[in-house]
Amino acid sequence: MKHRKYALLVSLLLVSLLLLSVRTPGGGGAWPGDLVGALLTPLQVTLAKIQRSALGVWSAYLDWKHVRSENQSLRAEVERLRIQALRVEDAHKENLRLRRLLALRDRLPLSTLAGEVIAKEWGGWVRSLTVNRGRGDRVARLSPVIVPEGLVGRVVEVRAQAAVVQLINDPSSAVAVMVQRTRTAGVAEGEPGGTVRLKFMARAGGGVQVGDLIVTSGLGGLFPKGLPVGRVTAVEDKGSALFHFALLAPVADFARVEEVLLLTGPTGADLFPHFSPGPET
Amino acid sequence: MRLSVALMLLGGNLAQTSVAPALRIGGVAPDIPLLLTVLLGLRRGPEVGCLFGFAAGLIQDAAGGGVVGAQALTKGLVGFAAGLMGERLWVSNPLVQVPGLVLLTLVEGVLRYGLLRLFHFPAPFGDLMLYVVLPQALYNGFLGAASVLALTVVEFWRESSPWR
Repeated sequence: MKHRKYALLVSLLLVSLLLLSVRTPGGGGAWPGDLVGALLTPLQVTLAKIQRSALGVWSAYLDWKHVRSENQSLRAEVERLRIQALRVEDAHKENLRLRRLLALRDRLPLSTLAGEVIAKEWGGWVRSLTVNRGRGDRVARLSPVIVPEGLVGRVVEVRAQAAVVQLINDPSSAVAVMVQRTRTAGVAEGEPGGTVRLKFMARAGGGVQVGDLIVTSGLGGLFPKGLPVGRVTAVEDKGSALFHFALLAPVADFARVEEVLLLTGPTGADLFPHFSPGPET
Repeated sequence: MRLSVALMLLGGNLAQTSVAPALRIGGVAPDIPLLLTVLLGLRRGPEVGCLFGFAAGLIQDAAGGGVVGAQALTKGLVGFAAGLMGERLWVSNPLVQVPGLVLLTLVEGVLRYGLLRLFHFPAPFGDLMLYVVLPQALYNGFLGAASVLALTVVEFWRESSPWR
């Protein structure tokens, strides 16, 4: 019993050596290979098919996973680029606005202070902007506030680091104006609906037409002369024998105002030649 | 038992020709029949190990188109040696099985090289050891460790199962 295992070992070694010895270079001794091949080949073929199918499924899964992750990363990339494009566009627009504001500032023959709009009050009761300039910047109450298109309003409240600007369409706003074409004077008042109405314009003057540009008249000393206020969109004659009434479209787009100039110095000159009305870009 | 050994023999050789190529790492594939030979020899003794190794090697020789009888001889010897080791060592310990597997893979490689040199096998011994036998021995050790762990888990599960 003890020598059985050694006997087995020796037998198998002998068989192996026998197999090795019958091997011929010409392939004549290849019968063991043929025998094993006949037994194993069908199984190998079946297994290879199963393996190929499994690998195919795995490969498809990997492809799907890869495409999915690529899709996600591309979506994220598109999102990032879209935000970047928006930022660039925003910066471009801001750059244009600031350039126009700077050009106006350089053109105007009085001292100005640039300010950034930090808040807007858009309710029916009050229409105002808050700019980031205040007492620290020596902003005075009632300072006119303009944009490259024309008049925005006036400072009604000065705080330490901010100032509240009453817009010209605020219901309590009244600006002494005149028709730029005929020099006929009147008053532009804000209305609760957000419109600006031209009032008290003497009929005796040259009259008013739709499309006429209305500018500040400088009367009363509050606003310099020649600041564009708006254009006449409709003439309303309500039977008054003495005055014309008209509706104005303000030249400044209050909803889009982001930077303004505060006029800090007095001037008696007509500022109209320094403005070049045109669509805001 | 004989049926399970026969199935292992067939399955091991089929796995060697189908699964092992897919498990290649850096061009090195494990020798699954050798792994089974050693693990079986350690657990079932020299006779089973020797017979299993001889048969597995013979199939590998025939299927691989090599010198028929070479792997039958070396794997038979390795299976026998594993069986002898199993009689003397505490084979259920992975610290015996895994290093034993690495060592016996190296021995099998040296033996096979020596035998093939008789048939004018051209590869230099150093290169063969460095690039084929040693990496394969390590891979076998790694795979053996995983197999031993899996077997331990299965055995533990079977012992603790209320259905046994």
